[in-house]
Amino acid sequence: MLLRRRVAFFAGVVAAGSLFSIAACGGNDEAAPAEGVKAAGNLDFVVWSYSIETIQDNIKRFEKSNPAITIKLADHSWFDYHDIMATKFTSGNAPDVAYSSDHWLREWVAAGWLEPIDKRCPGLANYKDEWAPYAAEGMTLDNKLYGVPYYADLVIFIYNDKMVKQAGFSGPPQTLAELQQQALAMKKKGIAQYPINIPMKKDDPWAIEFVYSMVYGDGGSMFNKENAPVFNEPGSQAEKVLQWLADARNKLKISDPAALEMAEPDVVKAMGAGRHAFTILAKYNLAELNLGQHKQKGNFKMALMPGSTHSTVGFVRFYSLGKGAVDQGDAAVKASCKFMNYFGGKTGGQYKVMKRWALEKGLGFANLPLYDDPQVQQAINKWGDVALERKQAELARVKEGLTPWWGAWDIYAREQIHAAILGRSTPKQALQKMADRWEQLREQHGG
Amino acid sequence: MAVATAPRPAKRFRRSRLYTWGTILPVLALVALFTLFPFVYAAVNSTRQRILTIPYHQPFVGLKNYEQVISSDTFDVAVRNTLVFALLTVPTVTALGLGVALLLNQRVRGFGVLVALVLLPWSIPLVSAGIMWRLLLHGNFGSLNGLLLQLGIIDSYVPWLSDPDLAMGAVAMAHVWREFPLPTILFLAGLQTITPEILEAARLDRATAWQRFRYVTLPLLKAPLLIVLVYETMIAVSVFDLVYVLTGGGPGTSTTLFSWYAYTATFKFLNLGQGAALSFLMTAALVIAIVVYMRVIRLREEVV
Repeated sequence: MLLRRRVAFFAGVVAAGSLFSIAACGGNDEAAPAEGVKAAGNLDFVVWSYSIETIQDNIKRFEKSNPAITIKLADHSWFDYHDIMATKFTSGNAPDVAYSSDHWLREWVAAGWLEPIDKRCPGLANYKDEWAPYAAEGMTLDNKLYGVPYYADLVIFIYNDKMVKQAGFSGPPQTLAELQQQALAMKKKGIAQYPINIPMKKDDPWAIEFVYSMVYGDGGSMFNKENAPVFNEPGSQAEKVLQWLADARNKLKISDPAALEMAEPDVVKAMGAGRHAFTILAKYNLAELNLGQHKQKGNFKMALMPGSTHSTVGFVRFYSLGKGAVDQGDAAVKASCKFMNYFGGKTGGQYKVMKRWALEKGLGFANLPLYDDPQVQQAINKWGDVALERKQAELARVKEGLTPWWGAWDIYAREQIHAAILGRSTPKQALQKMADRWEQLREQHGG
Repeated sequence: MAVATAPRPAKRFRRSRLYTWGTILPVLALVALFTLFPFVYAAVNSTRQRILTIPYHQPFVGLKNYEQVISSDTFDVAVRNTLVFALLTVPTVTALGLGVALLLNQRVRGFGVLVALVLLPWSIPLVSAGIMWRLLLHGNFGSLNGLLLQLGIIDSYVPWLSDPDLAMGAVAMAHVWREFPLPTILFLAGLQTITPEILEAARLDRATAWQRFRYVTLPLLKAPLLIVLVYETMIAVSVFDLVYVLTGGGPGTSTTLFSWYAYTATFKFLNLGQGAALSFLMTAALVIAIVVYMRVIRLREEVV
């Protein structure tokens, strides 16, 4: 009997402890951070893990010219960033300045985690006129500005020019039908087993942006101006795109089945090794593909998004002012504004940090005057094509349907997109489920 | 004149009780802090609408969160997947642990080295193990595919983690690899308490090897067997890390287990109320499973 009791007690304690820790992790969103824990000039800066050494160097330069302010940097994987930030904000550990994205702006503002900067840092809002419209729109909500650009870029179509020519084509595909045709030719000639790899890893926030881009490229929309879904309308572009992706994977076998477990870095490596000829990625990857240590280095080009209109998604990732700074008071806000100005604004009349990202990493920028900078032009032309990039930028659109519940919908949508690509449900069924979930969330939020 | 040299029994009893409570209370306080508080907090959350994107409206909703999660499509999928996962892993981990323990109990040479090798998977942090398995099983550059291709067993890479028919098996395989060392050690400890005379007596009675195992060894391993079954069931039902690293619940929902569903509700949908409701449902399922085990394996007083 005693052993049974002990086992039961042990089981109960372990089960309760492990399970409820998940439920309790949410913390209290009304909890105030401990006061006086840090000085107003000590800022917490949270980023996702990309080129940390460059960020650290930028911080060092900032601290040198602003000795009264010190920055504590924390970085987290892009894949976990949303979840980790949710934990930080709700557990009273809100950062002062953090990377954010147009993906999450409405969600984070609704949760009370971000502060508008036009009131708190009026100087930063003055740059607005120099930003690409899609970038400014991506950081604005209810006429309030919530950030300054870290980078703004486009989702683009990338192809391996050498492989395309080897397959007997003079140029890149202009439509999805042509893409299919070129891929089939490559497969037939043994150039690549799976010529297409569009990364669709379920837990990668990029996945939905690639689907949006393909829909936009063919003249479609996901939502109307009232934020009501149109992707589920009969014969919609979204339905055609999902059917195209499913056929490419299951019927024609021209798309890598492993694309569903692949994210951006995986595809860059696979493309670089010559395993695939076509992909859709954020533009800065073209710099890595053409300048990095890859077997196929130098063979990659961008083309306008295949489809009838060649439109695509333009997106912005930005420096946002977190609840942490505001809770600490004016001095911390002032220091944060100064910091954000150094990173996303002008120093000595120049967008220094942004220019550095463009020159060294090929990151896109929202600040249009940088396009006229000869140094930037020269750097981009080494791995890309400034003229084509400009043309694609002109055709770019922001993501539609960005609402406080878009983030939650996106998670569900990615599941359904997988189901459609795998052939587990028809595109029509998957899109209808996505629309139903949208309405459910809208109702929940009183939208 | 009588001199009192020892405290009276009543006083001694009070002191003894004081000592008992004095030593237990700090531990109880810790248990309360780390188990009871989250439990009560989650209970409260599960009966409120707690959605982080609607922070200023958190009404009491009774059992609505439970009703909503139970009626969702994902709930059925998560329950089915969790049952499949538990059925795949618990018997395999238990049988493998027992088998390896029986082999190690043969007093082979290099016993210490073998035990260390067996323990190795258990010593690797789960997330590291997950990353390692991801690199092994990746459908585009996984080394398992490379090996199988070179050996001529497959003619093209197999998407182990992105084929819905294979992904669950792949996650289960990684889980079994990570989990079997603990049962091995528990069974080995149990086996070493069995005196050789008992087995020798059975041998003299002309019992076959199987009969000795079935009627002598196995009954004497009931205690570790129960612990292994209870523990491994709890782990299988609440496994999270491997799914997180390997598949993210995908492709589609093919590896969405109950714990992943609870995590998604809490941290991705930011719906703390539903996340808490799911945690309670998961606990209820575990308690039922444990009670069933207790009933099936009736332990007698003498095995204590």
